[in-house]
Amino acid sequence: MGKSRVGVIRFPGTNCDRDVFEAVEQSGAEAVWLWHGDQFDFKGFAALILPGGFSYGDYLRSGALAARAVAMQSVREAASHGTPILGICNGFQILCESGLLPGALSRNHGLRFIDAWVDLKKAGGKTTFGAALKVGDGIRIPIAHADGRYIIAEENLKGLRDNNQVWLEYVDNPNGSIANIAGVTNAAGNVAGLMPHPERAYHEWMGGSDGRKLLEIWK
Amino acid sequence: MGQDTRTNDELDAKLKHYRLNRDEHKRIAGLLGREPQGVEWALFSAMWSEHCSYKSSRVHLKGIFNKSPRVLQSFGENAGVVDLGDGERVAFKIESHNHPSFIEPYQGAATGVGGILRDIFTMGARPVAVADYLCFGRPEADRMEKIVDGVVRGIGGYGNPVGVPTITGQTEFDSSYDKNVLCNAMAVGLFRPGEKVFLSKAKGVGNLVVYAGAKTGRDGVHGASMASESFGQDSEKKRPTIQIGDPFFEKLLIEACLEVMKQDLVVAIQDMGAAGLTSSSFEMASKGGVGFELHLDRVPLRDSSLTPEDILLSESQERMLMVVEPSKLKDVEKVFSHWGLDAVAIGEVVAKKTMTLLWKGEKLTEIDPELLTEHAPMYERPFEAWQPMHRVSDVSKVVSKATTGGKLTADAIEAQLLSSLSSPQGTSREFIYRQYDGHVGASTAADCHESVGALRLKDSGRGLGVVLGCRPQMMRLDAEAGGADAVAFPAIELAAKGFEALAVTDCLNFGNPERLPVMSSFVASLKGMNAVCRTLEAPIISGNVSFYNETEGRNITPTPSTGVVGIRPSVNAIPKSAFSRKGDKVYLLRWKLFTNNGVLGELAQDERRAFGDLTSEGALQSLKAAVETLRRLTCDDTGLVSSSRVVGKFGLAYALARMCLSGGSNGGRAGGLGLRVKAQALSGLKWSAQDTRDVAELLFSENSYEVVLASREDAAAFKSRVAAVAIEAKVASPEIVELGEVANQANGEQMLSFEAGEGLPRQLDIPVKRLRETYEAGWQKAFRLK
Repeated sequence: MGKSRVGVIRFPGTNCDRDVFEAVEQSGAEAVWLWHGDQFDFKGFAALILPGGFSYGDYLRSGALAARAVAMQSVREAASHGTPILGICNGFQILCESGLLPGALSRNHGLRFIDAWVDLKKAGGKTTFGAALKVGDGIRIPIAHADGRYIIAEENLKGLRDNNQVWLEYVDNPNGSIANIAGVTNAAGNVAGLMPHPERAYHEWMGGSDGRKLLEIWK
Repeated sequence: MGQDTRTNDELDAKLKHYRLNRDEHKRIAGLLGREPQGVEWALFSAMWSEHCSYKSSRVHLKGIFNKSPRVLQSFGENAGVVDLGDGERVAFKIESHNHPSFIEPYQGAATGVGGILRDIFTMGARPVAVADYLCFGRPEADRMEKIVDGVVRGIGGYGNPVGVPTITGQTEFDSSYDKNVLCNAMAVGLFRPGEKVFLSKAKGVGNLVVYAGAKTGRDGVHGASMASESFGQDSEKKRPTIQIGDPFFEKLLIEACLEVMKQDLVVAIQDMGAAGLTSSSFEMASKGGVGFELHLDRVPLRDSSLTPEDILLSESQERMLMVVEPSKLKDVEKVFSHWGLDAVAIGEVVAKKTMTLLWKGEKLTEIDPELLTEHAPMYERPFEAWQPMHRVSDVSKVVSKATTGGKLTADAIEAQLLSSLSSPQGTSREFIYRQYDGHVGASTAADCHESVGALRLKDSGRGLGVVLGCRPQMMRLDAEAGGADAVAFPAIELAAKGFEALAVTDCLNFGNPERLPVMSSFVASLKGMNAVCRTLEAPIISGNVSFYNETEGRNITPTPSTGVVGIRPSVNAIPKSAFSRKGDKVYLLRWKLFTNNGVLGELAQDERRAFGDLTSEGALQSLKAAVETLRRLTCDDTGLVSSSRVVGKFGLAYALARMCLSGGSNGGRAGGLGLRVKAQALSGLKWSAQDTRDVAELLFSENSYEVVLASREDAAAFKSRVAAVAIEAKVASPEIVELGEVANQANGEQMLSFEAGEGLPRQLDIPVKRLRETYEAGWQKAFRLK
């Protein structure tokens, strides 16, 4: 058996693409570039990752234009067939904008960009990303976003909880997200998104290596 | 001919419009052998502006120490390039965007970042780090809150989307910047093994001149000449000369340019910065000793009503000019179109050294590019030889009212320390750094919370350190010592983290060079910088000069900001800037060259006083000793030294307080380890037996140079290690004062304590929590910005 192939999707303005690509490779999988303008056959991929950045300059709304990119048709297909899909930061925004994940990400409550290390705890979720973590386990990884405040209608929040879709929570809420939510999954559990950047917490010299606990799933 | 200049009044009006003077007009007519015509006025206006021609500074810049065996590219290109060994090289440069940042803070700062990034990737290096040197006026000055907010948002608003981390910075406040802030941005780019350095020299008759990137608009027309003038009350009217940036375009442009370079599709390349298409095309041709035939009507436009003159002068952002072999144009177009960008041939390289500018088939001018690039006037502005300033012959006189007056008690020291921590000069910059992405690129090993920013180089695993320098309070004290310090202080900061300083970039921000004191301080500070660069073998390889930082007749503090880059064998165990390991012994290493009453003296409106010097041969050798010793002590990857900090503003007291506040790249907000400073240590701070200064004066004076190190070794082992290291480096050993031990738990919390002893009637205990709250609250006290 060869290595698992993990697709990393690049949109114009994605800027964590190379960071995620390298993290995936360091995790023992084969990283494969996918381009926003092309459809692809999802069947060859063990997982897909939408990295962070400012796709299409965040114009209109963060993730709104990327959600309509050609490659997203293939992402939808993959999602419906159960392929594990992860959106990080702008990738999370894109998945919400495309309807693959519930809720939306709006401007931080302080209306400013925030770069900081944050404490998170696993709240639930069936995603394979970070599956080894138990509910309640804590990890520490950085955030870097201006539009990271997770919002969802109150009535849908209960459904999210009942259905075990709340994946990660902030210990000390940095951006005003509802119910301290830092990451969610879809109902099936195969599509997940989070605002923090696990690829930036991969080695002790970076300040910590907890990000591996979320991405190292192919060994 | 001659119809442009019918009368003297008309000529004066024309010269005023193009910001040229009568002598320059005469020189132009002499070079051309006739009166300038049509677009030629605009060409000379832009290219002979101070900003583009360095006409007041060139004569002094010639003497700059700019070479070492590691320097691959010095001045003359878009950025300097240094060889790191192992096939890795870095390109870096710092540049000012002062006037635009005052007029339109967000766009001014944003395009400052964009412009400096282009200077880097033009060379073929991928930008990997940004650093910002900012000088603001007093918080209460008119518009200052808006300017601070706008500049910080602008830097983040551009730097964050393009995906280049901001890993260090320096922010100063002083009334001399009330109406003329400084916004200097530094960018660092990396060439990985096998990647080629690209230059701007045009070559190959018949090759195409290709315009790439964003379309040309009206923004920034006359920007270069605007930036070369003093400000008056009408600065608001200059808003239309400000450029507007689009980081999304820049990100695409970075990827497209690096891709065409990787595929080796370009012969030469230069960004369109100040004076836009004019300076890029004339400089490329002039360097290559060739001419261009340019069809201005082929330039992609955002606004079809632009005139040829507008097109020549526009400073629209995110544009590049390339020379491409005709057979490779298709491939170049393909790469740019993949990234959604235009790449259009607008002309070709010709053998005759003449720029022929065409507009819809009509010839606008035929002109030798060197007339504009090489024959600009060079002024030898008058200056006076520098005399050391504010010096006293007895070190005991280096005191500040703030710490004297017979009220010396433990309480007074505590109050002084807390007010230093909460002053604009001393307070936390977290508000600023939080708004910058410091970690994109996944290479950041030390971020803005550390005194030196550091990246891990992917191929060799080594550390690349970046730090800024220039302390305005030192410049206000003495321009020559301040210039020396602008290189020495950051070099010592690098050394205290185990980095070897390799090279320097500088941004010489000064007032009006036509004024004697300004020009004298310019010459003196260059002399000071040069002396230290030479001693440390760290040449100045790039930079810019920003004159005319003068508003309504008031000049800024002479501010030669610097960026220094260093290398370390690995990124493991870089000492933290705060205490990080309980039980480590804390030492003060001292090279006593120069002391002064610093920021505290300024705040107390004291007469400034200084003792010693930084530029004598003896002082320079001590500087070298400091750098060599510190680097050897801290460059190991086993963490022998867990923390280090160079003593700077507000002296040792402030440095120790900051070291109690852990908050490093991932230190958390709750932590913090205290220290109990021993009584013997306090009495050991005197400079000599004749030094009559009391404990408070010694704790707050700004000494060059002192470094606090925390090591796991006890005094005997540490001292013998320092001695051995000094012998290895063939330098003199420093004086070492044992301060105490990391962690000082009392009454259930960490404390910064000073033991009672000579001059201190009772032990002083300040909870670390209190230090932190005061340090963090200071920003809100100065600004309403959250």
